[in-house]
Amino acid sequence: MSICELRGVSKTYGSGAVEVHAVRNVSLSIEVGEFTAFVGPSGSGKTTLLNQVGCLDTPSAGEVLIQGRGTGDLGDKQLAALRASEIGFIFQSFNLIPVLTASENVELALSLAGESGGKQRAVELLDQVGLEGLANRRPNQLSGGQQQRVAIARALVKKPSLVIADEPTANLDSANGEAVLDLMRQLNQDLGVTFLFSTHDPMVMKHATRIVTLHDGEVVSDERKET
Amino acid sequence: MSLFTLALRNLFRAKRRVVLSSAAIVVGVFYLIIGQSFIGGMNESIVRSAEDGLTGHLLLRPADYPKFGAAYPVDVLLTLTPDARTLLAGEATAWTERQIFSVTASSSGDSLRLRGIGYDPVRDPSVFSRQVWEVDGVIPETAEQGVLLTSGAARLLELKAGDSVVLQARTHKGAINALEVPIAGLVTTTNMAIDRTSVYVPQALTRDLIRSELPSHIGVKLAHRDEAFGFGDRLLAAQGSTAEVLTWFDETKDLLRMQEIRSKALNMLVAVLMLMSSLAIANTILMAAHERTREIGTLRAMGMTKARVLALFLTEGGLMGVGAGLLGAVLGGGGAYYLSLNPVNLANFAGNGMGDQLQFSSWLYGEFSWPIVLIPVLVSIVVAVLASIYPARVASKMVVAEAVRAE
Repeated sequence: MSICELRGVSKTYGSGAVEVHAVRNVSLSIEVGEFTAFVGPSGSGKTTLLNQVGCLDTPSAGEVLIQGRGTGDLGDKQLAALRASEIGFIFQSFNLIPVLTASENVELALSLAGESGGKQRAVELLDQVGLEGLANRRPNQLSGGQQQRVAIARALVKKPSLVIADEPTANLDSANGEAVLDLMRQLNQDLGVTFLFSTHDPMVMKHATRIVTLHDGEVVSDERKET
Repeated sequence: MSLFTLALRNLFRAKRRVVLSSAAIVVGVFYLIIGQSFIGGMNESIVRSAEDGLTGHLLLRPADYPKFGAAYPVDVLLTLTPDARTLLAGEATAWTERQIFSVTASSSGDSLRLRGIGYDPVRDPSVFSRQVWEVDGVIPETAEQGVLLTSGAARLLELKAGDSVVLQARTHKGAINALEVPIAGLVTTTNMAIDRTSVYVPQALTRDLIRSELPSHIGVKLAHRDEAFGFGDRLLAAQGSTAEVLTWFDETKDLLRMQEIRSKALNMLVAVLMLMSSLAIANTILMAAHERTREIGTLRAMGMTKARVLALFLTEGGLMGVGAGLLGAVLGGGGAYYLSLNPVNLANFAGNGMGDQLQFSSWLYGEFSWPIVLIPVLVSIVVAVLASIYPARVASKMVVAEAVRAE
C-alpha cells in the first residue's frame, strides 16, 4: 500500500536564463513500512524532492499524493493539518525549539496535531528513544545525539504515516549516527513507521531497504533490498 | 503547550533587547499617567478654587458687571425679588450675600489696592468653604473685631494680626470713606486670586464702608455643581434683567480650555514617544523573526498554520506592551497616588508672581483614578500589537522549505 506517490513531479526555481530544474519529472511511490533513502551528490535534488513529499513546498508540475489524496489543491490550513497529523520531520540540525524542554518539544508536536495527554506520552516516548530522565532538559543541555533522539521522538509521537529525515546523521559523530540510525530502524521494524531519508551517509544506505538514486533532479536508479 | 507560554518564553530569550525596546513605552505610560494626573488635579483645583473662593456653584450679580480687571463697582447693587428669594430658600443648599468692593489698604505710608470681600459671618462659610484656610488670629464676625487680611497682602504691607490698617473705599453713592480697623487675623486661602489681593471684611463693617445694606453678589451652593446651569436659568428668570448669573463653569471655562490644550499637547508628546517605541518594538520583533527563521520553519513543518505563527508574534508584541504598560502604570500610578495624598506647592516653583488673577490653589494635588492608570496600559498594548503586525506577517509568510534549513 502506498503512503506517498509522486506523479511526474518537477520543481523549477527562477525563470528564463537563471532557471534551475531541481527535480525533473519524478514518479515514484513510497510503500508502507519502507526504510527508503534518497541518495545522490549535492545538488541532485534530494532535499527538493523531500520537500515535495513532506508538503513543505509545491511542485512546479506533477502531483503529490499522500495516502491517495492529492495535495495540489490544498490550502495552507489543510496542508498544515496534513503535516501535523501524517508527516513527521527529522532535520540534519535537529531543529528543536530552544526555549522548550525535551518533553515540551515532543508535546508541541502532539498539540499541533490536536491531540491531548501530551506530557505522559512525550515522556514515555523519550524513555523509548533512550532519554530516560532527560525530559526536562532544554536542547542546549543535551548532546547532538540526544537532541536528534528528541527530534525522533517528536516526529513519532503523533504516530505519523511517514517520517521524513533530511540527512539525520550528518551532524553526528559516527557512534551517535549509528545509534540514531539503529533506533530509527528499530522503530521502523517494531512500529511499522515508514521512513524516508535523504543522505550521503553510507551507514544510512546500509540500513535502507530501498535506495533511490538521484542525479541532476532525475531518478537514475531505484533499488529495493531484500530484508 | 499554549501559544501564550511559547510567546512568553521567546520574550525571555532576549531580555536586554526586549527591555530596551519597551523602555519608551514605560516612559510614555509613566509620563501620560503623571501628566494626566496633574492636569486632572489642576482641573479639579481650578473648579474647587472658584467654588470655594469667589463664585460658589453660581453667583448672582448686577447685570453688566465688569468681567475683567480689578474694578468692583458698588454703585449698582442687588435687591432680590421675592421669587428669587423663594427659589433660593427652596432649592439652594446654601446661599449668602456678599459685597465685593474696591478698597485701598494703607499702613505707615504704604498703600495697596485690594478687593474687599464683605461677608456674612454666619452664612458665608456654608457657601464658600474654608476647609483649607490657614488663619493666624481669628476670623472676625463683628465690625469691632476688624478685618481678616490675606497673608500675601499683609506681607506686602508688612502687617500682622493685631495691627491696624486704614481702609479707604467709595460708598455706593461714590463718596470717599475711610476707616481705621484692627486686623483680627491673617488668612492664607491657598487661592492665588485671593491671597495677595483681598481683604475679608465682616458684613457690618462693609456696610459702614460702602454705606449700603444691599449685596453686590449672591453666592449659591447647590447639591451638585452640575445643577448650576439649570438653576442659574431659573434664578435669572426669577430675578429679572437687572442681574446676571455666573456659574463655576463660566468662571473656569477659559482655564479649563487651556488645560484641555495642555492635555492634548501631553497626548501628542506621548504619541510621539509611543511611535518611537512602536518602531523599536517592530524592529525587535522583526529581528526575532529573522533570528528564528529555522524555528518558524520547523513549527510550520510540524503543522503550525500561518495564522498561528502570526498570532505567536502578535502575542509576543502584545506581551511586551503588557509588561511595559504595567511597569509604567505601577510607576505612574504610584506617583499619581502619592501626589493625590501629598500635594505640590506650585508657589515653590513659580515664585510670588504667579497667578494673581487665576483662581486656583497653589497646592496642587494629583488626581488618582483607575481610568487614568489603565487607559495608558491599554494604549501601550494596542501600540505594541500594531507594531508587531508587520514583523508577524513577515514571519508567517516565510517559505517553509527554505526556513527549516536556514542557518
